[in-house]
Amino acid sequence: MERIRASSLGIHSVLALCALVVIFPVAWIGVAAFKTQIDLLTGKVLFQPTWANFDELLFSRSSDYLANFLNSLGVATASTIAVAIFSTLAAYSLHRLRWPKWVPATVLLWSAVFHMLPPITMVGPWYLMFRSVGMDNTYSCLILTNLALNLPVGVWLMSVFVREIPIELEEAARVDGCTTPQMLLRIVFPLVMPGLAAVSILVFVFSWNEFAVALNLTAKQTATVPVAIAKFAQEYEIKHGVMAAGAVLSAIPAIAVLLLAQRHIVKGLTAGAVK
Amino acid sequence: MDAHLLGDARRWRYYALAPAVAVYLLLTALPLANLVAMSLHDIRWQGGSADWQFSGIRHFAELGGDQLIRAGIANTVVFAIGAVTCEMLIGFFLALFTSRVVTGRVAYRTIFLLPILIPGIVIGAIWKLMYNPDFGVINQLLSLAGLPGRDWLGEKNLALASVIVVDIWHWTPFVFLLLLAALESLPQDVFEATRVDGATAWQELRYVTLPMMWPAIAVTLLFRLIVSFKVFDEVYLLTGGGPGTATEVVSFTIYRRFFTEDRMGYGSAISLVTLFVLALLIVLALYGSRRFSKET
Amino acid sequence: MEKTGFQRQLVGIVFGVGVAALLAFAGGAAHAQKVAPITIVINQSPWFGGFSKAVEAYERETANKVTLDVNPFAGSAEKQRNSVRSRQGQFDILVMNSTWLAEFYHGGFLTPLGDIDPSFKLDPQVLSYDDTAYWDAKTKSNNARTGSLYGVPLNGNIQLLFYRADLYQQAGLKVPETWDQLMANAQKLHNPPSIYGMVFRGARSASDISYDWMPYLHSHNGAIFKDEKAGDFTVTINSPEAKKALDTYVDLTRKVGPPNPGSYGQAQVIQALVTGKAAHGTPVIAAWSQMDDPSKSAVVGKINVAVLPRGPGGKPSPTLGHFIGAIPKNIPRDRQVAALAFLKWFQTVQAQQIVANAGAPPIRKDVLESELSNKPENRWMKAMVDSAPYPRSMYTVPEGPQIVSVLELRLNQAVIGEKNTAEALNTIATEIQEIMRKGGYKTGKLPDLK
Repeated sequence: MERIRASSLGIHSVLALCALVVIFPVAWIGVAAFKTQIDLLTGKVLFQPTWANFDELLFSRSSDYLANFLNSLGVATASTIAVAIFSTLAAYSLHRLRWPKWVPATVLLWSAVFHMLPPITMVGPWYLMFRSVGMDNTYSCLILTNLALNLPVGVWLMSVFVREIPIELEEAARVDGCTTPQMLLRIVFPLVMPGLAAVSILVFVFSWNEFAVALNLTAKQTATVPVAIAKFAQEYEIKHGVMAAGAVLSAIPAIAVLLLAQRHIVKGLTAGAVK
Repeated sequence: MDAHLLGDARRWRYYALAPAVAVYLLLTALPLANLVAMSLHDIRWQGGSADWQFSGIRHFAELGGDQLIRAGIANTVVFAIGAVTCEMLIGFFLALFTSRVVTGRVAYRTIFLLPILIPGIVIGAIWKLMYNPDFGVINQLLSLAGLPGRDWLGEKNLALASVIVVDIWHWTPFVFLLLLAALESLPQDVFEATRVDGATAWQELRYVTLPMMWPAIAVTLLFRLIVSFKVFDEVYLLTGGGPGTATEVVSFTIYRRFFTEDRMGYGSAISLVTLFVLALLIVLALYGSRRFSKET
Repeated sequence: MEKTGFQRQLVGIVFGVGVAALLAFAGGAAHAQKVAPITIVINQSPWFGGFSKAVEAYERETANKVTLDVNPFAGSAEKQRNSVRSRQGQFDILVMNSTWLAEFYHGGFLTPLGDIDPSFKLDPQVLSYDDTAYWDAKTKSNNARTGSLYGVPLNGNIQLLFYRADLYQQAGLKVPETWDQLMANAQKLHNPPSIYGMVFRGARSASDISYDWMPYLHSHNGAIFKDEKAGDFTVTINSPEAKKALDTYVDLTRKVGPPNPGSYGQAQVIQALVTGKAAHGTPVIAAWSQMDDPSKSAVVGKINVAVLPRGPGGKPSPTLGHFIGAIPKNIPRDRQVAALAFLKWFQTVQAQQIVANAGAPPIRKDVLESELSNKPENRWMKAMVDSAPYPRSMYTVPEGPQIVSVLELRLNQAVIGEKNTAEALNTIATEIQEIMRKGGYKTGKLPDLK
């Protein structure tokens, strides 16, 4: 008892220290959003807070931040849902529905190889493809590209979690006359929930922050948040305060997703199900 | 009944895989084929249209003489190994500790994930200010502690390490989140059994936790390595590859050759070679750590 | 406003008379008729505010519709390249920086403005910017006499000498005309770590140190090539003049610069100026808007600008970093006509006054010299006019970015002490010659420096 308490105190102090190190730059960005450029550049500790950065971010003529925000929200949500479903289905099919060995190997290898390519080399062909069918500057093309960019990580990770489902559970369900869709809904999805929640958080964040492709496939009406924020890192002037303000606002939906999704990362679902 | 179910499973094996494969075929086949084609050609634009001249393997042959690439590959390997090792270790232990505590776990989880939410371009711009030798907050803190400040990004032998620190800060959350999810989905009865058997914390970690988490660790490592090879945003705003070639990384060289200099053929060749090197590195890393996990 | 009313009246009369021929030509008569809506692709910048004010005024005045697609700097280049390379272009006016102008001229993506309207000419009051709005497809050079007009300058961005006027007054210094005089002044004000005599864009990036050093090279009568306009691409960057130029530059960075000049990009130079950390710098005029803004500057009203210093026997040689508005080939005729209507309007005095009133540099000499220039906040205008005869292009070949990439690395190595100046220039000469040889140019190089 005594030992456990001491070690939990130790764990807490390590965690708290790490939390401090992690949060310091984040807090610094939060504070930067309320500083004028000159206060930021001179590193002033005491300063007069200002709303000017938010004002410029939200209401200046070249900025459509609110619209960009909604675009990002729609695109990131849609791509996250699609990646979550497609990758779980694919992982289940690859590992539990008895493909010849080369099939999962090929799909996984192809995903990894594709993931290694720098985005700048894909942007050109994608632009020409979507433009030739008149789909550039649409939400669908953004969702599709984010889907393609994040599917590799989804398929690989969901493979890990799907393979951990005890095979006896599935066999028992088959004996009970479960069809595949029923199996997916009642066993697979509930059991991979912790992994699926983690993957969804990541995919949401990645789609939300994706820049290189969004820049080229969007115009004024469809532009996303990172494209909007990047405008403030100019050749002649890096507007740190406005960028920080943009980052603060842009983090809100991600934090919401994080709080919502991490409730599903809970202990022992598998264990409970086996018993 | 059995036959009916098997038929159902056979059909669903196609249905379930189809969406993912369709996305791959639609969106990845063309860019990849295009990349291979470009790497074998010289592309010049004249009179508004492209003139493709077959160049064989010349672009690949040129790679050896490109000093930027040599520096870039060396730096990227150092960067990837340095950053990813730290991220894996820190991320793993943070996940382990966070899964142990009862009070404040939501707070810890949320805080440890914050850095990954911030767009790369903002991270670059803000850390550059924090690293500033004259007014940066890091030197301010050091001077409070009575230590001399440094020019973190301006000194040749410090610059790459400074960039690595930013990457660790930015990407440890990725490792943390995935390993936490993996930890939490492990069957709890195994742990209870080992505790009943009187295993020490170290024995439990080495003989139960690590082997069971191996698949998740391997995949996390794989994707961290891949993404660290593509590091761009941070370097772009922090150092631009300088001073000299101290922080030149491959993805930056690719960007410069492929986009800024508009040498699509040569840029594609670099991408393909990098892809090959990376694949090799990953095979080695996975092989090495699998042996490690077998030994433990 | 009055003028607009008059124009509308005129339009009414013209239509009243009912000249049938005019109807066929109506698209060309910009002020007379609503034209097709156009999209301008542009990058966000300190002068964007002035440009967008002008666009608003144009829309009000003509009822023509203009959409602005605003991007980060590098992103704008990326989108323009994508657009001109597809079957039908997305954008009608490309706002091109000098860094990617050569690529677009050589690639044949642009329409000569005379093909859209044979009568269109650049207004003589518009500054020439080293003839960069003209392109001679035969000799592949920017030449106003032999080439055709392809664009209208939209913003004249060049380097100027930014200096601390208040410190000059205290110390009784005179504005320098040569680099040596600048060195003497900077040494008097150099007092690290509280203030550096001068800051430099010594960093290696897409374009920092090469752009910063170019005026030293040109004003010492050096050049990258023997005679670019005549098609002679013999590399002359390892000439004794170039070595003198690089020695002068490196000497300045060592004697009056910050401890690590090789890590300063343009943003750091501007940061050093506005925080009062630097007595001199040579950023572009686009940086001016930050100098007098109290939320961005600790030295409001204390900085002034002058024409760049020169080397012995040379002329001041600011480098062009300007923007040209041009019309692509791959868009329908009606959109080309509409695009030209905007460019036509943009070069008028009235449009340029709107630009200048919004604090952005105008492109017309008469506007730069108008009574606007007497206002204290416009004290930069005189230096702009005085610099007008001198600006030089950095390069006019599409291999330019490759050349710059060589310069960036080698010059940076000279500044951080990895190479001496002769070694750096010899390496640059060898590498540039190789680039030109591969590109099929007539090339060669001078014997190595010792």
